[in-house]
Amino acid sequence: MAALGRAALLLAFGLVAYALVAGSYAAWKRRRRLALSAQNALLAAFPATLLASVVLWIALARRDLTFQYVAQHTSHSLPLGYALSAFWGGQEGSLLLWLLILTGYAALAVWLNRRSRELVAWAVPVLGLVATFFAFMLAFVSSPFVTAPAPADGAGMVPSLQNPYMLAHPPMLYLGYVGLTVPYAFAMGALLSRRTDERWIVITRRWTLAAWTFLGIGQLLGAHWAYVEIGWGGYYAWDPVENAALMPWLAVTAFLHSVMIQEKRGMLKVWNMVLVALAFGLSLFGTFLTRSGVVNSVHSFSKSPIGGWFLGFIAVMVVFSVALIYLRLPLLKAKTKLESLVSREATFLYNNLLLVALCLTILWGVVYPILSQAVRGETRSVSKPYYDFFLHTFGLPLLLLMGLGPLVAWRRASLRALGKTFIVPAVAALVTGVALLALGFGSSVPGLLAYTFSAFVAAAIVLEFVRGTQARRAVAGEGWWRAFAMLVARNRRRYGGYIVHAAIVMLAIGIAGSSAYQTVREQALRPGQSMEVAGYTLTYRGLTQTQEANAQAVRATVDVTRGGSHVTTLHPGKNDYPVEQQTSNEVSIYHDPRNLGDLFTIADQVPSKPGGPFYLKVLVKPLVNLIWLAGFIFVGGSVIAMWPDAVEQRRLAAQYEPGAIVA
Amino acid sequence: MVALSVAAALAVFLVYTAVAGGGTPQISPSTLAGHKGDVLIVGAVVGPVTGDAHGKGLRFLLKDVQGHSAARVPISYTGSVPDLFKVGRHIVVEGTLRNGTFVAKPDTLVTKCPSKYAPATSKT
Repeated sequence: MAALGRAALLLAFGLVAYALVAGSYAAWKRRRRLALSAQNALLAAFPATLLASVVLWIALARRDLTFQYVAQHTSHSLPLGYALSAFWGGQEGSLLLWLLILTGYAALAVWLNRRSRELVAWAVPVLGLVATFFAFMLAFVSSPFVTAPAPADGAGMVPSLQNPYMLAHPPMLYLGYVGLTVPYAFAMGALLSRRTDERWIVITRRWTLAAWTFLGIGQLLGAHWAYVEIGWGGYYAWDPVENAALMPWLAVTAFLHSVMIQEKRGMLKVWNMVLVALAFGLSLFGTFLTRSGVVNSVHSFSKSPIGGWFLGFIAVMVVFSVALIYLRLPLLKAKTKLESLVSREATFLYNNLLLVALCLTILWGVVYPILSQAVRGETRSVSKPYYDFFLHTFGLPLLLLMGLGPLVAWRRASLRALGKTFIVPAVAALVTGVALLALGFGSSVPGLLAYTFSAFVAAAIVLEFVRGTQARRAVAGEGWWRAFAMLVARNRRRYGGYIVHAAIVMLAIGIAGSSAYQTVREQALRPGQSMEVAGYTLTYRGLTQTQEANAQAVRATVDVTRGGSHVTTLHPGKNDYPVEQQTSNEVSIYHDPRNLGDLFTIADQVPSKPGGPFYLKVLVKPLVNLIWLAGFIFVGGSVIAMWPDAVEQRRLAAQYEPGAIVA
Repeated sequence: MVALSVAAALAVFLVYTAVAGGGTPQISPSTLAGHKGDVLIVGAVVGPVTGDAHGKGLRFLLKDVQGHSAARVPISYTGSVPDLFKVGRHIVVEGTLRNGTFVAKPDTLVTKCPSKYAPATSKT
């Protein structure tokens, strides 16, 4: 079995290395048949990698402990689902997942666009280059198929990873990270083949959008996992590993906006190249961060030798990208100039600068410990206040821009027209702001600003939908619902985008509510005693112990009342895992439908002897459920924006490639 | 225009780093001596662990994660204790050195879980 896995990986390495070498030579010398053969090698690398993956999955399912990887990450008592998820629970498996997704994506992207020959001829070796690195790591440096005499039982899985979210969170993130390779490869392909028109953007728009959506969903799943599983009542802690996923997401958000300017107005060509390279570089850097242990993190990874390889590869890719963009600068001249600082293009530009500024300040925070160690000889780190400061400084204007942008005309907007379009959202924002101030929400200025801006954006989005629907009704004579549905269906990219904006507004409201206006209290309770938090009364009744499949569970019984009437009974507690020799907090949460908030209870300390004090920590987090709801709307909007549009494709095909279909 | 905006962003940044003093130092137990003010201390827990984190404070010693330094720093901590906290575990905690004891700020103790991604036994 292990030999089969190793052979499949070697084969995959050979195929992608061939795609890199033969593909580059063929594209350079314009050898059509050699280019095709390189392309086929890249396509064949996917089944080879899939075979290696299947071998690992079978070994995990059978708990074949002769595989070191299986012995280190599973145990006989571990349920099957979690045993299979151990595929991405460790370093070697994660690298294999990277390569599996990369070769899958590469095969699909190359095959769908095989008619765009010049672009694909160069995209193949670029994809081959990235795949070669990962295949090399897997085949020669960090193989998941190392065997050893089987121990009696495996080391098991960290208890906090034994959660359904961990089945989905890492693959989602990887689908996002790896997906960024496709737009990068086509962008570099465009530069190498000197076809620097907008075609690479058109080809990869959906790839970028899909990668961005996966990355967003992956992060939300991770945040929700941290929230329900880790047991500290938060969902984001500015940890380097969390930032590692946020940074490329921010860069791609900027990219998705700035490519629209290039498509419409032929500007920002260099900037887009830089952004796509930045996003790809950050996705590599993110993988490096989570694997190298170079930065101190809660997630803490023991130092591993693959760090150096990764750093080297990132350096190669950065030098390659920068050099290539520099060499092709003459081809990337803008067709037009910015006409006015008050125009749609200008607001997109501001949004880009803010997003990139936020992204780079986070990057600075992440690498600060390394840099200060190198410069001052002392490791210094920045924490929450640093990140919060920049989230407020750059994030709040970004939120407001999201409402302003869509209302401003392209090219040049007159102040009078602006006044007219802004009046409704501005009034909505002012009324909201004053009302919240009167209700005592002034306790947090960033929170109040976030809510006021959110009202502005929400009103602007509703206004856009109403205007569009009215126009359709007037022109086509349709009913309200039909006009609305047709409006979205005919302009999927635009209105899908607005729906994503609405999701971001919900996210902002949820984050502001649950962080700026949360209440935290902790108290020692004996059976029968109660505590009061934000209108709730919690009464501790006692403890119960139960034996679960692979853990010993202790649960408290806590009755919750509000205004004298019973609301719910919560059971916070702890699990003790004997195989892994660890305990884990098992929080208990009540979702309050009145304010979409949570009553979050943590068993902070369980009494060691009966009758001792039970330390109960309670967090009341208003509106926190909007964050998770926003995730669904985010996906909905993205899917609408991504959905294939026959009309659009015919138009683009005619524009960029007469006589062929652009996928 | 672009240059101006970037410059503005950089200015904000510099103002911030000037105001905030550029981060909290991260210290290992062997290099703690002489550090006044707020620091993060990173180390491995040495027993015995005594006291009560919800009462007068949890007490334990901290040693360097790497190297063979004999330095042991006594820690006094109150607040939530993470599940993974135990002797031998690597932790990070924020606080100040007072009369030879490192007095931690409440609820700043973070444990690190070395087994999550790359197991210590891995020889790859």
